[in-house]
Amino acid sequence: MQPHDEQPHVPGPSLWPVGFAVGIVVLLIGLIVSWYIAGLGAVVALAFAFLWVRDLTAGTELTHAEEVPPEHPAATAPSASEGEAGMPPSAPAERYPRSKFLELSTLGVGGVIGGLVTAPALGFMVAPAFLKQGQKDHDIGPLTDFPEGKFVVATFMSDKSEGEVSRRTAFVRSNGQVNGQPSFTIISNHCAHLGCPVQPNGPLDQTGEKQFGDVTLIPTVSIAGFGCPCHGGQYDTEGNRTAGPPVRALDRYSFSIRNGRLFLGKPFSVSHVDGAGGSAKIHKWTLAYPGEHVNGIESWLYPIQPPH
Amino acid sequence: MASDRLVERRRVFKQYKEDVKERGKPFYPFAMWHDTVMSLVVVSVIIGLAIVWKFSTPGDHIGTDPGWLGKLYDAPADPGTINFVPRPDWYFYFLFYLLRIFKWPESVVLGTIGLPTVFLVLLIAMPFIDLRAERRIGRRPVAVIAAIMVVLSMGILTYKGATAKEALGTELLAHVPKWAAKEGFSQNKQAVAGAKLFAQAGCLNCHTYNGDGGHNLGAPELTAEGSKNKGIAFQIAHLKCPACVNPGSPMPSFAGLGDARLKTLAAFLEASKGGK
Amino acid sequence: MATRKLTRSEQLQQTILYPLDWLEERSGIVGGVRYFLFRKVPGDINWFQTLGAATLTAFLVQATTGVILAMYYKPDPNSAYSSIQHITNDIWAGWLVRGMHRWGASVFIILMFLHMGRVFMFGAYKYPRELNWIIGVLLLASGLAEGFTGYLLPWDQTAYWATVVGININGTAPFLGPFLAQFLQGGTYINADTLPRFYSIHMLLLPGAIFALIGLHLYLVVHLGVTSPPWSKDAAGTGPSANGAGRKSRRGLLRYGTRRNGR
Repeated sequence: MQPHDEQPHVPGPSLWPVGFAVGIVVLLIGLIVSWYIAGLGAVVALAFAFLWVRDLTAGTELTHAEEVPPEHPAATAPSASEGEAGMPPSAPAERYPRSKFLELSTLGVGGVIGGLVTAPALGFMVAPAFLKQGQKDHDIGPLTDFPEGKFVVATFMSDKSEGEVSRRTAFVRSNGQVNGQPSFTIISNHCAHLGCPVQPNGPLDQTGEKQFGDVTLIPTVSIAGFGCPCHGGQYDTEGNRTAGPPVRALDRYSFSIRNGRLFLGKPFSVSHVDGAGGSAKIHKWTLAYPGEHVNGIESWLYPIQPPH
Repeated sequence: MASDRLVERRRVFKQYKEDVKERGKPFYPFAMWHDTVMSLVVVSVIIGLAIVWKFSTPGDHIGTDPGWLGKLYDAPADPGTINFVPRPDWYFYFLFYLLRIFKWPESVVLGTIGLPTVFLVLLIAMPFIDLRAERRIGRRPVAVIAAIMVVLSMGILTYKGATAKEALGTELLAHVPKWAAKEGFSQNKQAVAGAKLFAQAGCLNCHTYNGDGGHNLGAPELTAEGSKNKGIAFQIAHLKCPACVNPGSPMPSFAGLGDARLKTLAAFLEASKGGK
Repeated sequence: MATRKLTRSEQLQQTILYPLDWLEERSGIVGGVRYFLFRKVPGDINWFQTLGAATLTAFLVQATTGVILAMYYKPDPNSAYSSIQHITNDIWAGWLVRGMHRWGASVFIILMFLHMGRVFMFGAYKYPRELNWIIGVLLLASGLAEGFTGYLLPWDQTAYWATVVGININGTAPFLGPFLAQFLQGGTYINADTLPRFYSIHMLLLPGAIFALIGLHLYLVVHLGVTSPPWSKDAAGTGPSANGAGRKSRRGLLRYGTRRNGR
């Protein structure tokens, strides 16, 4: 049987714990100073931890199997399922035969190389979609261009450097003054079901079209809400869903006013709106993709939103 | 220790290998000849379709008029449009129509992800679900019925997806003269104005009229609305507050259009007697 | 050692065989190709069983026309549409290559479904071909994904908006859906990075996966053999030693007939 049955297994002295401790300290420092140092510390700590554990488990059942004399000598090659145990037993005097060391280090170094090459490349593929999101404010015209109580269809580029691909459309309605401040209802035209472009349910006044820079403003004559042609979603003039598959109200834009001009800010999602016009109570949520519930039981399907 | 079933299968497979060795024919030229002929057919069909697509398209091919096989391309992408109805490529029509079937907000994720994932998993796991060794078609009733049902349902869904109608304001506006001619109100200026408003106000998102519009949401067909003789006053009252006149109606109020426009809409509805 | 002069036809044979022997001695490839070409297949195979090769041909048409199109297509939102117009109208035979690629996609997908249906009805997904079926389903999924990513490339209204809806459908998946949608889009909305991303997936990632999977698929077909049609009376696997009684019964390829031990 194993020697440890007769006396307790006491690990020999080794320096690996020191290296492990140094690695942990570097990791903690790096958390405060810089991610690169933290990464270095993690690597060092892991390496020394591996060596330490290997030291501790040497000579125990974890690393040595019962040596079964093979029934047929090396003439038959071992099958895949026998693996290491099927190999002819190594000389018992060596704790770490050279071949075993080479095996482990080949796999280990290969793994490190693979990681070194893949991790940055994968990060390059995945990370930019999630970093530096968010948008600048867009100037969509003087306040006088937005008659009170009427929707205006405004298209603008959310990032001029990207060009036409960043064009967005919003339905803008001035609600007059509320508590001394101009109030606007600004509704996004992406349907809350699956993102199709939503149409205003009413005729447009094409003669009243205004254009400056990348912004185009087309007033509506009068509309009774919004409708989505894709699957029949219907919304009222506050963006609440009244019929069809949309899972919440239409998204809205926040806005600011500078020098008498209207600026659109970040969009946000809305579950529903109580009331109408300037005194409406808007139930706001962080921006979610179309088709995602923001409240109710089904919102538990989407607990974390990526940075928008 | 392999089960009896596995032992039997291994024996039969070994038998298969021996039979093929003894009585089989070389792949080249016997089977490869079939493959080559079929490949020629495939390549010819592809080239033929390409030729028809190009040469049946009228105009200078810079514009977007469709030919027998559809348009060469649409207008350039406009992310700010309010005038477009997206459609996927035809082989996704069955998924597209599934979305129209699941029209309740709570069920959206079933139609987008739930059902397709379930079927994909069933498909991958097929060899582990069907563990019988029987291959003769006549002795596999479950497989045959399942296959027929899948083919039928995908075919029907694809067909419904292909023929699904949407209500696009600008396109519908162009249909107004056709409606006026069919229903006979071309001389009635109010009705024509109402028809134009009807086309643009999103009514056909829910209602159908003379073959246009979507019946997906169960709203009544309006082609012969006038023949019910409900009267202008009723129509205006209904448009202003549908749920007051028709309890339980999910139709939104169109009071925002204003009295003058509501009158034209009512005139249009009353003039729609069902066409000749 | 006596030698004789070869006849004309023998000389012709030698000119063909000599380079092949040279190649075979240095690589072993000729032997592999010879095995593939002259291996035995059941004598009663059916025209239905050409659908797999037909699908492969359709895919090769797609790959070839795709490579050629990539030489003229510009994957930038500002120039993609005009490059497609250029290909369709100005470049010699551009309309033909583009048309072949666009309709080849539909033909490829139809043939994949037909081939899958044929394999299902023949029961050719059963032992020992389960792994091949799974690879086939992965090929189906990859082919459909190719169709989805390729649809965006012309950058017209249909392309853009169908892709918006498709990405949002992916976004409705629980937990990881929003991340998947944002990864595909390259941001919160479709932006200037989305088109190159889809182009890379369509041109490099998916074709690479498909070529690898096709290689595995074909290897398994050669290794495991092609089945006889299930209605064949002389099906391979029903040889005289079957069921030990020497009876030539009307059995399909794999028939587990009697119930033994209650199983």
